[in-house]
Amino acid sequence: MIAVADGRVPDVTAGRWVTQCALSRICGSCAESLGRPVAFLGTPAEVARNAFHLPPMHVACAEDLRRTPDADPTWQLTLTAGFEFVRPAREDEDRRPTFQPNSLL
Amino acid sequence: MAISDVKEYTHLTEEEVEQIGRELDAIRAEIEDSRGAKDAAYINRLIKIQRGLAAAGRVTLLASSATGKAKKPAWVAGAALLGVAKILENMEIGHNVMHGQWDWMNDPEIHSSNWEWDTAQPAEQWKHSHNYIHHQFTNVLGYDNDIGYGILRMAREQKWHPVYLGQPIYNALLASLFQWGVALHDLDLERIRKGQKDPKEMKRQLRQIARKGRNQILKDYVVYPALSGKGWKSTLTANMTANLARNLWAYVIIFCGHFPDGALHFTEEEIEDETRSEWYLRQILGAANFNGGPLLHIMSGNLGFQIEHHLFPDLPSNRYADIAVRVRALCEKYDIPYTTGPLYQQYGQALRTIIKLSLPNSMTSSDQPPPMTEPPTPAHDRKRRSDDERPPRRRELGGWMRSAS
Repeated sequence: MIAVADGRVPDVTAGRWVTQCALSRICGSCAESLGRPVAFLGTPAEVARNAFHLPPMHVACAEDLRRTPDADPTWQLTLTAGFEFVRPAREDEDRRPTFQPNSLL
Repeated sequence: MAISDVKEYTHLTEEEVEQIGRELDAIRAEIEDSRGAKDAAYINRLIKIQRGLAAAGRVTLLASSATGKAKKPAWVAGAALLGVAKILENMEIGHNVMHGQWDWMNDPEIHSSNWEWDTAQPAEQWKHSHNYIHHQFTNVLGYDNDIGYGILRMAREQKWHPVYLGQPIYNALLASLFQWGVALHDLDLERIRKGQKDPKEMKRQLRQIARKGRNQILKDYVVYPALSGKGWKSTLTANMTANLARNLWAYVIIFCGHFPDGALHFTEEEIEDETRSEWYLRQILGAANFNGGPLLHIMSGNLGFQIEHHLFPDLPSNRYADIAVRVRALCEKYDIPYTTGPLYQQYGQALRTIIKLSLPNSMTSSDQPPPMTEPPTPAHDRKRRSDDERPPRRRELGGWMRSAS
């Protein structure tokens, strides 16, 4: 399911891939251009903080990913029209970039 | 001279750099909290104006063809209206919409996912080559493909070759055919030439470019001229002129963003373990603004505020003028260079660099402000990197991969 255009299979959580998805506005799962709304999968804590670690996805791709055996059972689906890509600051313990939905649907 | 450590270059302490980051974060948060109906009205009004100008241009050309009256003035008016419409569409609308500056409005049309602009490069490829490669690796030698667009030598650290003697000519060709140069930008011709590009991906991209290019040609050089009947030639030349004007304008504005004196280049060491604040600092040092009135800034897609655009590429462009006042004050407070000047001066400096760097370093001198020191013409490998060769910004493992491993 997770494949980029040239057939390579990226780690959907890897920093480089996450950054590329955020800036190129492509789905972190299928690597095609994002649609509207944009879907994020996150744990209840991520939903509460409105800061997600997994890259943006199509709604269908996020639903598919949530159904895989490896999925975190606590993941919740959040839909938004847009998001901010937030790079980590020096004082952040968690050095992963986050996505902050800015227009929840 | 390329910078390998922005902190050292700016003589700032780690705490000062982080404080600058916090102050820029505060500006960002303030704009995010305050964007709303006024901003939405701005972009909606601008799109309405742009479409009105395009329609007026097309109708003027069609009408003059049909009636045969006042042909010359109508041709001039039609081409001018169309040219301005194309410039607005590419610069202030398309470029900024595809950055996601207006996604927060949840508009079904004005959204980075849906917008396809009036130029030869497919939106999807632009979002990769510009939004990701250029904005993530801004002015990093070997990583940012916008440094010379793969055909010009724009940094003294780039190895000289006799082929660069023709640089003034390549530059003129690039300016005139800018939309086609940009269309091929994400293909990475250097990797194709060396046989390093994945053939499947290359074919996919070429198909996209061919489809988009064909539609652009059909629209401007077949359909509208055909609709003009006997006056087809007049419509065709007007469309060609409008496209040429847009190409030249876009080229000038883009070259003013990173090539005037004072906009610095960086080595790959700089982006290793870069924090958000260091990233901000690199954007400030690597970009250059130009001065002008509101109309000039709108016609330039607000890229006269290139520094602010690079700091906050996804904040609405109509806010850059206000942000610039605060960013400039911040730069003055910390004694950080803030490169700006009139448009003619900024482009003049970029053009001088193009001409100078057609020659080996030993025959010219650097125009970068002191304390620059002259590097020798290097034998350093500055080839374009593929996505795989670009370094990951962060090491991390998420929940999904943890359970998969």
